Amino acid sequence: MMEAISLVGQSSGRVGTLMNSSEELIARARRGEDEAFRLIFDRYGRPVISFIYDMVGQRDLAEELTQETFVRAYKNLNNMRDETKLSTWLFGIAKNVARESLRYKHRETDKVGIDDDRVIELSDGKLPPDRQLLDKELSGVIKDALGALDEDKRVVFTLKVFQQRSYEEIAQITGSSIPKLKTDLHRARAEMRRRIKPYLGVGYEV
Amino acid sequence: MKCEECEVLIEEYADGALDQKSAGPVREHLASCTACTAFHQEWTREQEIYSRYQRDVEVTPLLWSSIEARIKQERGGAREGMLARLRIKLGGLFAGPRFSPAFAGALVVIAIALTVVVMTLLNSKNQRELLARAERNGSAPAASSDDGNPSVEAPTPEVAPKAPETGSTVASNGGGETAPKKVPAAKLVAARPTPDQLVREAEQKYLAAISMLSRDVKRHRSQLDPIMLARFDAALGDIDRTIKDTRRVVNENPGDPIALQYLLAAYSKKVDALREMTAGSEN
Repeated sequence: MMEAISLVGQSSGRVGTLMNSSEELIARARRGEDEAFRLIFDRYGRPVISFIYDMVGQRDLAEELTQETFVRAYKNLNNMRDETKLSTWLFGIAKNVARESLRYKHRETDKVGIDDDRVIELSDGKLPPDRQLLDKELSGVIKDALGALDEDKRVVFTLKVFQQRSYEEIAQITGSSIPKLKTDLHRARAEMRRRIKPYLGVGYEV
Repeated sequence: MKCEECEVLIEEYADGALDQKSAGPVREHLASCTACTAFHQEWTREQEIYSRYQRDVEVTPLLWSSIEARIKQERGGAREGMLARLRIKLGGLFAGPRFSPAFAGALVVIAIALTVVVMTLLNSKNQRELLARAERNGSAPAASSDDGNPSVEAPTPEVAPKAPETGSTVASNGGGETAPKKVPAAKLVAARPTPDQLVREAEQKYLAAISMLSRDVKRHRSQLDPIMLARFDAALGDIDRTIKDTRRVVNENPGDPIALQYLLAAYSKKVDALREMTAGSEN
């Protein structure tokens, strides 16, 4: 239904994107049709880059890792076992790519989520306090809070809260058991809640 | 349900991850407990806040362009890698201890000569068979020359089982006459083989030669020295893998002259090896 609504006003190419089933796109991409793989990117590029951004907290790096995710996906199309779970498979690759990058970053003693210019700018308090600005500031807080979670919790929280994945899907993506996921998610929510609590007051109520 | 129990389940309840049986008691508890209801409301506000999270990232056309470029690069790299491996493999076959360069050179000459002889014989045999079949069926052979003389030098794609014959076959006049009619010039132009067809034809010729030599080798295997036989079998295994690999590269890149060259070289090498085995069994 959501997909049908989102078709209104979109180009025919975009409509075509939504009319192709994942299985069909995979079969065509495996046969070497570049257009089919582009349609897969059109469909999943946004959620994948959002997920990676939530994991690494940097725009340039998120773009680079999204690129790596889709290149790896292309190279491993023939290894995909269940074509009905394309998005789960893509998120699995994205998770691995992001984690590899984070481990490299840890070795480089870098930190996630605190080097963003926008956050620093907002902290200076120089921009007007309208709703849009509050949302942006809140986004900075959420981003920092995400960056403070450990990797396991961040993956689960992002997939559940932002990507609305089921526990079963998250288990497939992460390779963790569902009880562990529930525990991680509960703890992640508690940590996030603590950090955004000041923003749950006046001005942020909806 | 107690508040402690509700706290455990309330997140899953709010996520919609609880089944009806488990969700019922939570719903009932929320209707009667102000503390848990307050927590549920706070949880709902949190979700709304998260839904307003703005990321400083977008999917741009440039991102797809970068992915596309890397895919092409990877594809090219994979192809180059495979060709490089084939070069090493073929190089190994030619330069390995089994065949000295001089002997390998001599074998190449022999293989070419042998291939020509084998194909001539095959063509001659095929022509005879086709003529005999034509006499029986009242139709002309597929690749006779224009003047109706079924010469062995005439192009003979009938070695290839897939080659369509209807294009150049001319039906007899119904009186059992074996000589074919003149094929129109336009048809001859249209039937001029493409490089791909020529390669396929060459491949079929090699396959025919290999088939004939393999039969010969099979008949005389027992006469070969066991150590020599094992070495030949190992060499043939390598060559077969090379043929398989090059065939795959050619299928993926039909117009690639290097890949075609390697494919035909691999077939030639197999003819060489089989010829060597045949010669070994005769000594």
